[in-house]
Amino acid sequence: MATDIKIPQIAEGVESATVTEILVKEGDKIEKDQSVIAVESDKASVEIPSPEAGTVASIEVSEGDEVSVGDVIIKLEAGESKDDDSEEEESDKAEIEETEKKEKKDKEPKKKNTKKTEEVDEKEESEEEKGVKKSEDEEESSDEENEEEQETEEETGDKDEKDNSGKLEENEDEDETNSSSSGEIPASPGVRRLARELGVDIAKVKGSGPGGRISKGDLKDHNKSGKGKTTASTEITLPDFSQWGETERKQLSGIRKATAKNTSTAWSTIPHVFQFDEADISDIEEYMQKLKEKSEANITITAILVKVAAVALRQFPKFNASIDMKNEEMILKKYVNIGVAADTDKGLLVPVIKNADQKTILEIANEITTLAEKAREGKLTREEMEGGNFTISNLGGIGGTNFTPIVYHPQVAILGVSRAKKQPVFINENFEPRDILPLSLSYDHRMIDGAEGVRFLHWISRALENPYEALLGA
Amino acid sequence: MAKNKKKKELIIIGAGPGGYAAAFRAADLGIKVTLVDPEANPGGVCLYRGCIPSKALLHIAQVKQEALEAAEWGLKFEKPEIDLKKIRKWKEQVVKKLTGGLGQLSKGKKIEYIKGTAKFVSEKKLKIQPNDSEAYEAEFQNLILATGSVNVSLPAIEIDHNKIIDSKDALELKDIPKSMLVIGGGYIGLELGSVYAALGSKVSIAEMTPGFLPGADRDLVKIFEKEHPFKDLFFNTKVEKVSIKKDKIKVELKEKNGKSSEKSFDKVLVAVGRKPNTDTLALENSGIKVNDAGFIEVDQKRKTRNENVYAIGDLTGEPLLAHKANYEGKIAAEAIAGIKGAAYDPGSIPAVVFTNPQLAWCGITESEAKEKGIEIKVLKFPWSASGRAVAVGSPNGLTKLLVEKKTGRILGGAVAGKNAGSLIPEISLAIEMAATAEDVALSIHPHPTLSETIMEAAEIFSGSPTHISK
Repeated sequence: MATDIKIPQIAEGVESATVTEILVKEGDKIEKDQSVIAVESDKASVEIPSPEAGTVASIEVSEGDEVSVGDVIIKLEAGESKDDDSEEEESDKAEIEETEKKEKKDKEPKKKNTKKTEEVDEKEESEEEKGVKKSEDEEESSDEENEEEQETEEETGDKDEKDNSGKLEENEDEDETNSSSSGEIPASPGVRRLARELGVDIAKVKGSGPGGRISKGDLKDHNKSGKGKTTASTEITLPDFSQWGETERKQLSGIRKATAKNTSTAWSTIPHVFQFDEADISDIEEYMQKLKEKSEANITITAILVKVAAVALRQFPKFNASIDMKNEEMILKKYVNIGVAADTDKGLLVPVIKNADQKTILEIANEITTLAEKAREGKLTREEMEGGNFTISNLGGIGGTNFTPIVYHPQVAILGVSRAKKQPVFINENFEPRDILPLSLSYDHRMIDGAEGVRFLHWISRALENPYEALLGA
Repeated sequence: MAKNKKKKELIIIGAGPGGYAAAFRAADLGIKVTLVDPEANPGGVCLYRGCIPSKALLHIAQVKQEALEAAEWGLKFEKPEIDLKKIRKWKEQVVKKLTGGLGQLSKGKKIEYIKGTAKFVSEKKLKIQPNDSEAYEAEFQNLILATGSVNVSLPAIEIDHNKIIDSKDALELKDIPKSMLVIGGGYIGLELGSVYAALGSKVSIAEMTPGFLPGADRDLVKIFEKEHPFKDLFFNTKVEKVSIKKDKIKVELKEKNGKSSEKSFDKVLVAVGRKPNTDTLALENSGIKVNDAGFIEVDQKRKTRNENVYAIGDLTGEPLLAHKANYEGKIAAEAIAGIKGAAYDPGSIPAVVFTNPQLAWCGITESEAKEKGIEIKVLKFPWSASGRAVAVGSPNGLTKLLVEKKTGRILGGAVAGKNAGSLIPEISLAIEMAATAEDVALSIHPHPTLSETIMEAAEIFSGSPTHISK
């Protein structure tokens, strides 16, 4: 029995990718989660795992192919039952093992199920949200736009469509209460199934065929349309630069494209406010120096900032949130995941420290080192870059006195860190040389007001200067 | 092993066309399946005492009828001899061959087949009672209920399985009574009535509603009314009382207008419908409730309110048809395997009555369209204009398409005539594919076949059918 392995949602907002390597060959027995092909997407190289174990019956793509989400890459023959047999024929002992194995296996499909659903959920999310990490912003807004558009279409469009949409709603209701028919949606059973797989509400898809028939292509277009919206504004005609001298054209890398798209949509969606502050980190620097001398542990200011920010996010829940304009709600997150921007050869990547509030600074420091390494090697997984609530961008290692980072939609705030400098500070009637760290906070004014912004940033700088005071909530 | 017996990955109760389809699909998806059914092999009512044996007998009826018709065209046969024993044997061979085949498939897919029954002990536990060994309790990770349906009986009429019989008895073909009354003018009554009529019985039909096949397309019914093989038709009539008097059965009939009459027959077949077979499941122990009509409520994935318990086929609601059960079985198996796209959302479920002429329909009906406020155009192509239909002696047939006025989408269809059952799937596919009348009209259909009638009906939509005038 053949199962199709399809291209999953590779990364948020990524619809297509190029096959860079095929890691299995026909006839190979593969395990569940074993990587089968590698694709190069907007977000570095990703290996696609097999959703289940089996034997590779055929490979449907070749290296260099452009593939998109939902495309079949490999046909897999389920191979588990065969193994069962051979094992069953062995001794009693084997039988016991077998039973144990079966029990394990019994559990596995469940796990598989939940995992699959999660994956798909993520898929849904990302497809709905459309933006890559940086700026799912666009997505929400464009979704809204879409909806509005659809509504107006329904209102002004031909009666036909109106009728249909009304009926579709009915159908949805029916579905909930067990009835079956979505027969009035003009889409074939295969298209309807793909829509469910992609998490697309087929009732909202506009069909391009006769009688409004929806094709698989229409589903994919529907997915893309939200994303494409804002890029329209970037399609400004460029002058012919060669009239002023020699030029060279180079393809943008996947990550560059994603960053361009996401920052521009974040920029156009989020009303940014920028707030600046500075923190005296002389004591921290001193402590870090001591620690370094004493042990192997390599604590960085970024790790400390992650920890401090984690505590701050607990104190200021609105910064650990997202805004849902469609439903006019704010989504407060009960977990604290903090992204740390990493500069790599390929471009900007943002791995996420999960549950930073529950980790020690030492643990955070180690995790940052590992993730940064992976980022530079292009080995970050999708999971490692997802789920951030807040981002820290530390450019201090390079220099600069201050900068205004762009909020990483759908997050609502980002902390920019520049280079600490020795500065004379007037303390106890004297100027003393102190290490002063410039901090900037960019935030989404739809969610956060100026006073809240400055309180949050001030809390962070105070926590850096005097952790006890900050932690005591004074 | 004992442990193994206790915790099963997937148990399916009932191996009819729903249950075995679910089992095979699940096994193909790598799930370890336990299939419980009282029969020696999978097949259920459909193969053992429903669709398949009745079609074997109807085939005989059709051959006989066609031989008779041929006399009018110049091909005369001797009066046919009916060897009941041989017919029975042939029918049994058909059943044995098919169910045996399913048994082989089941083995090939490593399905654990338990000959027996199962019922709930608690929400998460079943008691499995094999036919030939001791009962034991078993837990499951997932469960599919697929116990199908049973004949509905009438309170006033006791079935003695000899003179007063049900559909199962009728298929056993013990004898050919001189006269027979079929109570119920639905498809089971008409099909079995047709078999007995072809074998020489004088068959009459009693039906409470005003005509054959309540709920079916009236244009089809009209065609059947012209050609039906029955003696007397008692419509709008209730059977008040049935009593056995010596060799005869006395039947009291009461018409809607109050008129009563008494008739006597050699046999009475009760075919008033089927109801979900939930009694054997001890559902009360599972927490699963049935609705007012006795069906188990399920979601699009065919899951009941109990996590990990699914129900399919006749248990879940109308129409009670094998192919619906089959489809649901596969969906439930896929849902259990975690295939996200799996859902039961048919646009069309074809129905076929295997009488002569055959009647078949799918999608929405005219009355449904009216109810839903969908404006439709009804396109009718009479078979008298089809070369093939005339050549095979089925000029009274009809092909009908229900097309949405604005979009031209085909939403429903109906066919009456020879082979209607084999013609309807094209219309059903058109509905599922959201095809328009134009699409069908622009698809080349082979000549000379009855399928051209579908193309020509579709051509009416654009106003230019080749073989009929507007």
